[in-house]
Amino acid sequence: MSEGRILVVDDEPQIHRFLKPALSAAGYDALQAFTAAEAERLAATSAPDVIILDLGLPDKDGKEVIRSLRTWSKLPIIVLSARGVEAEKIEALDLGADDYVEKPFGIGELLARIRTAIRHREPATVSMSRFDIGDLSIDLAKRIVSRGGERVHLTPKEYDLLAHMARHAGLVMTHRQLLVAVWGPAHTEDLHYLRVFIGQLRTKIERDPSAPDLIRTEPGVGYRFAE
Amino acid sequence: VPDIALKKADEVILVDLPPADLIERLKQGKVYLPDNAERAMEGFFRPANLTALRELALRRAADRVDDQMVDFLRRSAIEGPWATGERLLVLVGPDPLSEKVVRTASRLASGLNAPWLVISITRPGATVDSGRLEETMRLAERLGAETRRVTAEDFVAEIMRTARRENVTQIVVGRLPRSLFARLTRRSLPDRLIGQAGDINVHVVSADVPLDARPGFNWRTRSNENALEAIGFPLAAVVAITLVGKAITAILTLQNIAMLYLVAVVVCGVVSGRRSAVFAALLSFVAYNFFFIQPVHTFAIDKPHEFFALFVFLAAAIFTAELSGRLREQAERARSQEKATQALYDFSRKLSGAARLDNVLDATAAHLYAETGKGTALLTPRQDGELIIGTVWPPDLAIDPTAMMAARWAFEKSELAGFSTATLPQVPWQFRPILTARKPVAVVGLLLGENGPLRPGDEQIVHGVLEQAAVAIDRARLFSESARRAALEESDRLHTALFASLSHDLKTPLATISGAATSLRDLGDKMEEPTRRDLLTSIEEEASRLGRFVANLFDMTRLEAGTLKPNLETIDIPDVVDGALQRVRKVYPGRIFDVSLAADLPSIEADAHLLGQVLFNLLENACKYGGEGNPISIFGRLDGNEVAISVTDQGKGIPEKDLEKIFEKFYRRQKSDGRAAGTGLGLSIAKGFIEAMGGTIKAESPAVRRRGTRFIVRLPVAREPRSRDSAR
Repeated sequence: MSEGRILVVDDEPQIHRFLKPALSAAGYDALQAFTAAEAERLAATSAPDVIILDLGLPDKDGKEVIRSLRTWSKLPIIVLSARGVEAEKIEALDLGADDYVEKPFGIGELLARIRTAIRHREPATVSMSRFDIGDLSIDLAKRIVSRGGERVHLTPKEYDLLAHMARHAGLVMTHRQLLVAVWGPAHTEDLHYLRVFIGQLRTKIERDPSAPDLIRTEPGVGYRFAE
Repeated sequence: VPDIALKKADEVILVDLPPADLIERLKQGKVYLPDNAERAMEGFFRPANLTALRELALRRAADRVDDQMVDFLRRSAIEGPWATGERLLVLVGPDPLSEKVVRTASRLASGLNAPWLVISITRPGATVDSGRLEETMRLAERLGAETRRVTAEDFVAEIMRTARRENVTQIVVGRLPRSLFARLTRRSLPDRLIGQAGDINVHVVSADVPLDARPGFNWRTRSNENALEAIGFPLAAVVAITLVGKAITAILTLQNIAMLYLVAVVVCGVVSGRRSAVFAALLSFVAYNFFFIQPVHTFAIDKPHEFFALFVFLAAAIFTAELSGRLREQAERARSQEKATQALYDFSRKLSGAARLDNVLDATAAHLYAETGKGTALLTPRQDGELIIGTVWPPDLAIDPTAMMAARWAFEKSELAGFSTATLPQVPWQFRPILTARKPVAVVGLLLGENGPLRPGDEQIVHGVLEQAAVAIDRARLFSESARRAALEESDRLHTALFASLSHDLKTPLATISGAATSLRDLGDKMEEPTRRDLLTSIEEEASRLGRFVANLFDMTRLEAGTLKPNLETIDIPDVVDGALQRVRKVYPGRIFDVSLAADLPSIEADAHLLGQVLFNLLENACKYGGEGNPISIFGRLDGNEVAISVTDQGKGIPEKDLEKIFEKFYRRQKSDGRAAGTGLGLSIAKGFIEAMGGTIKAESPAVRRRGTRFIVRLPVAREPRSRDSAR
């Protein structure tokens, strides 16, 4: 029984050469595409569960592929990207990519991302009413956050921010996405809001706010909530 | 103390005391020894003299303070909108009085808060003492006046025209002392101006100091130049006409011999000028009387009507002489003006073709030298503002350190310096700033100290040339700035390409190695044996790919840094080709290589390692672009005193326009499926290595039957070619 079907889009044959056996060994069906055109065709015809997309494609910018896919599909997209080009990642994420993995990567990291992406695709995640991680629990229905059974008092904005991140636990959220979700589209440039509120949240929910493991920073890109 | 000391002093301190006090001090022996003081008091130190001197001193000091004040106001940029009510027109000439006129006008202008225009008028072609005039004009500029140089025949009309055009409300003019004769015969310029000024006020400034020079024409120098022509030509003409007249009257009776003489006058006027014509008129008068009027061969005249006719002739002749002379002068002026215009036009055409600063400077210097005959230097500021010599024409002239100081002064102060100026006049060069609206862009030096000042009229030419040069220099500077920016952008682009190449060429093998290794570790036990082996192979291959890329980068760095020192030795080509082939076969197993090396191939002088790398790069390139399954040929042959080695593939080939580009760093061709391949370094390294070994490399495409690419490497044969037999 296959865990899911994964479309790998990369122009380098070497990448396919190890990803295909690795993904099959992990229980996935791997589909291969070398160009953007091929990727778009396979995405439409063979119903993959996740797309792994390299941004440097010969025939078209990978970001264009995201844009056109997002016009008709909510298919999870994980971007393969080089370190040091944060702007490119942010752009891809804001265009609708779900996550990214930096090249070079270990297979374990990629598989974890794939699992998260697939889980978020399931409808249950959306209507989730309760979220637990470690000793922290968030009751999304009652808007109550507690740590080790003790109630944590959050301002409405802090709660909104935490709840939004918890709903996307395991996925990276760009600054912009968080700002839009919590403060509204007029505040996409107000990065300092986010810094302040993340700082406050960390002091309230993290065991050690100086070494956070619930709200992790993705340098230059955004934040990722643990799962 | 001479006046010059006062003029050049940095600071003047006025110590003032009333004459009575001074005489008192004199009496007390505080100035001179008592007996000297006695004599001084009787001779010079009388109250009247002292009062006069005191007034002079006070006035000089006041002038100075006034200059400084105006200077200061100018410098502090109190430009503001000047009151528009009053406007002054100031007339100056090459006379010493003009300085006083300028100072008076300056005081008047600042009192009225009015703009003032200083003009100097010369007659066309007149020689003037331009040094003093220049100094006066500069003084005026420094005091804030607008200055203008005008040439005109009729001074008064020109002045009034300018005054009306510029909405002048007041005119300031100097009145020079005139001789009794001049006063009786002609009205002075101020008088005539006052007569025509209408509602314009005229201020007349009178001389109060003895004037040491008089302006105006200098007939002597003019007549020296063409004395022979001015006297000889009329003489010859009148003699000729007399002979002709005699010849004609011998044959038929001619009533109007006088007409013939008029011809002589006109010819003289047109050919050699007004004075020559007047002289011809007088000669004709004499000759006509002597040779043709009864009684002939005497100056006596019999009939009263002939007496009358003779003087009518004289009047007519002189009038004709004047007219024809003026005609000639005007024609000459038009001609010289046309010449100057033509020269300026040629110059501007030359400049428009010169985009680089060097070219502009060279063209300007050469043109100035050709026009004025003076050595010319052009100096421009460097990037850091330091003034350096841009060009000198003729090129053998030198500029010593003192002259450089003068040049710097001219540049920094935007005023004249060097020869016959107030700053460093001992220098043979005269430096003038070349100004644009923005700032001085350069300094021109004219070598005036060795063969005299500029010829009259050249001043205008220099002025015109410098105005054009200023624009051209400014333009060239902007052009080079934009070129520099383009170069920066280009190097930026290279860096971006390097970055892209690094991130692609380093990261793909690294991603493969890391991905395959982690897959084996985490999922290896779920994989089939062949899959595991393939992953291990891919790790090995990618590691060696990475190694090649790093080696390429290293080679490139050595080439760029210039630290590559080829270890030239005598080597045999088959050995090197063999080594390269072995390495390529490892990367591209199964490719077919056709090797054909001439049997008489001599040894060459090269670095075995570098040449091996070049061949490897060429072969690798051929494998990448040659198309799967197509054989790759390697030929080696002797060509003159070079050995030519070629590597030919049978791929798509390279469009002709890209043949040069393929050797550029990070230039990559697209593979048939559109993917960029390779590092974009291989060929540029090959070129760098071959050139370091004194050889050449070039690409040809198509190579065979409209397909493929051929790379040909040429290297010099070793100096003592060994035959293959003796080598073995």
